Amino acid sequence: MPTLSRRTFLAALASAVPLALVVRRAHAAAVVHLQSNPATLGALAECVLPSALGKIGAAKEAASLRDWGAGYHEGAEINHGYGTSRLRTTGPTPVTRWATQLDELDAAARAKHQRAFREVSVADRQAIVRSALAGQRLDRIPAVADANHVAVALLAHFYDSSAAADLCYESKIGKATCRPLSESARKPLPVLRVSER
Amino acid sequence: MRRAIECDVCIVGSGITAAMVADRLSRTTSAKIVVVEAGDDTIPLAQRAAMRERFLRYGENPWGRDHIDGYEIEGPLQSRSMQVGGLAMHWGGVTPRFSPEDFKQRSLFGVGTDWPISYDDLQPFYQEAEELMGVAGEQGPADLDPRSKPFPMPALPLTYNLELLKKWAATAGIATWSQPSAKNSVVYGGRAQCCRNDTCTPVCPIGAKYSPDFTWDALKRSNKIRLVTRTLVRRLVLEPGGKRISHAMAVDRDHPNDPVELHAKMFVVAAGYTWSSHVLLLSAQTGAPNGVANSSGLVGKYLAGHRNVQGYVDLPIRLYPGINEQHSLLTKQFMRPKEGSPYIRHDLRIWESSVGKTARLVDDGGAVMLGDAVLDDWRRRTRTGTARVRSYYDVIPDRASELTLDPTRTNEWGDPLPKLAFKDAPESIALRERTEVSIKTLFASMAKAGNGTVLRTSVDNFQDHPAGGCRMGADASSSVVDSWGRTHDHENMFIVGAPTCVSGSCANATLTFCALSLRSTHELERGLPRRA
Repeated sequence: MPTLSRRTFLAALASAVPLALVVRRAHAAAVVHLQSNPATLGALAECVLPSALGKIGAAKEAASLRDWGAGYHEGAEINHGYGTSRLRTTGPTPVTRWATQLDELDAAARAKHQRAFREVSVADRQAIVRSALAGQRLDRIPAVADANHVAVALLAHFYDSSAAADLCYESKIGKATCRPLSESARKPLPVLRVSER
Repeated sequence: MRRAIECDVCIVGSGITAAMVADRLSRTTSAKIVVVEAGDDTIPLAQRAAMRERFLRYGENPWGRDHIDGYEIEGPLQSRSMQVGGLAMHWGGVTPRFSPEDFKQRSLFGVGTDWPISYDDLQPFYQEAEELMGVAGEQGPADLDPRSKPFPMPALPLTYNLELLKKWAATAGIATWSQPSAKNSVVYGGRAQCCRNDTCTPVCPIGAKYSPDFTWDALKRSNKIRLVTRTLVRRLVLEPGGKRISHAMAVDRDHPNDPVELHAKMFVVAAGYTWSSHVLLLSAQTGAPNGVANSSGLVGKYLAGHRNVQGYVDLPIRLYPGINEQHSLLTKQFMRPKEGSPYIRHDLRIWESSVGKTARLVDDGGAVMLGDAVLDDWRRRTRTGTARVRSYYDVIPDRASELTLDPTRTNEWGDPLPKLAFKDAPESIALRERTEVSIKTLFASMAKAGNGTVLRTSVDNFQDHPAGGCRMGADASSSVVDSWGRTHDHENMFIVGAPTCVSGSCANATLTFCALSLRSTHELERGLPRRA
């Protein structure tokens, strides 16, 4: 019986396993990777999101993006717009590339500072991120799923949120949340800073 | 095996106009009513919060299974939705009435075609529709916005942002008021008060916005109707002699080899502007070689709607986008052209907006911002606010604005799909540029009045709130149905709602579709046994 080379074996395996299954497994593996290595994503959140969030707030945002990734469904039907009969579906999972990019940020930090990404200063982390984003089109914040880089995904996820709008306006707007109708005529109440409480 | 369903009234379609018809008939008559819907039942209210969450997070369609596969058609279909409740499951709930001028364009302004009914004829049915679905509104100036009774609910309150924008509009000489909406400003019809979730389109998670499923659920609970889902009506078959419809032939999508026949005394086609004309054209047969109800050759013709010009204005006032972005101000000030002036007619609505005021990652010099720099930049740019302004304007439909059967595409049962092509009448083509320039000039003058600047304007080529295809008229040679919606050709068939419109006005049209349907129902029920 002839023996299979590794390449032949992998080719045979690839043809035997449906592509969708391979993609699903890659997504699941990337989600696990993000869940089990939260430190780099947390360190990234801390350097790209506003310092007003603090370490705890940044970690919360990182966890929220991980949850977002875990809940992502490829091929789900997108809300169909008016004026066309064309249906669209969600694209390939972005989580696999985010997992790879976090490893690349870590590798860049080790190469330059001989330490993990999470162990270098915020300014040094920002420099590494800027370098990773060089050449990317960033003229607008994309939808989270369309973010080409995990740093942009974190920014997109946070700045689309109700909390981010409240932080910007320093007011309790609470957009897209259930709020009393009667209060809509009133100017949104100011958000008190910690020092004012 | 063939399956036959017998009833007094067979309603084809289960969208908002079908719900109006069924609701009224079930209250005023003892008729046995069967409603046939090609699509699936819709998602229950209890699941909508979760569906909304996935829409917000991932952009997913909150109405899973809301369409039939294989219906990719040529032309600007309003929506793929085909489910219980139809498009009104994801409508915005915006419910202005048409204006008296809409019904007399030819007499008053020398353009378009007069309707065979007046605003006064339709007024009681507007009121009935508003009460059935629950409309919150504020009376506008009586000469522009006449009504004989108050709205069923107080208006949705103007938000802090809209109050500021109302003052701005006033400085430009424009009187505005709260947009009437089928959204509960108070608890109404057993449904909750709006709490500004602000996703009216595509989904209200608490049922504060009216959608037809609430009517269907109530009618089913009281056993007043039978709703047959996943059953697509393919043909309407004539009795010998061709004066009456004998039955509808349908396919049960779960048992496609067992044809379904629906026998009824009266047929109501309530399938919207596309599928109503489509089924009539598909029903060509001996005695009706061009389709049923089509002796005039006008089934599918005169598709109507309105285009819009939209703009964003940067104003030196601090707004807080997100208080209730889907609510707006309205004026009808520009819906009555001046005598002797060119026919330029449009509405005007004003919203809060976040356009130009969202966070960004690159500063004006092209440098990437991270950390506090993004927030600081965002705060700097939100010291002023953005208003969104939009005007729908009248488009007079051409005869060749039409739905035809597409010889190149069929559905899975072999029936040709529809093909849509909207076309302006020559008089409308001549007015288009002048109208769009006039609206943009208005936006510029409003910006100037508020010491602001127009950020950008755009013209939507798509015609919104499409209607027509079975236009009403007194003359059987130039219309498909009479003023009540009864087909000229077949005494026991009514077409209701959007398809019967003669023109599309320059305002959201769903309430008018509902009022027309209720008017048709008043005529239809005269031939049915009254409920004791």
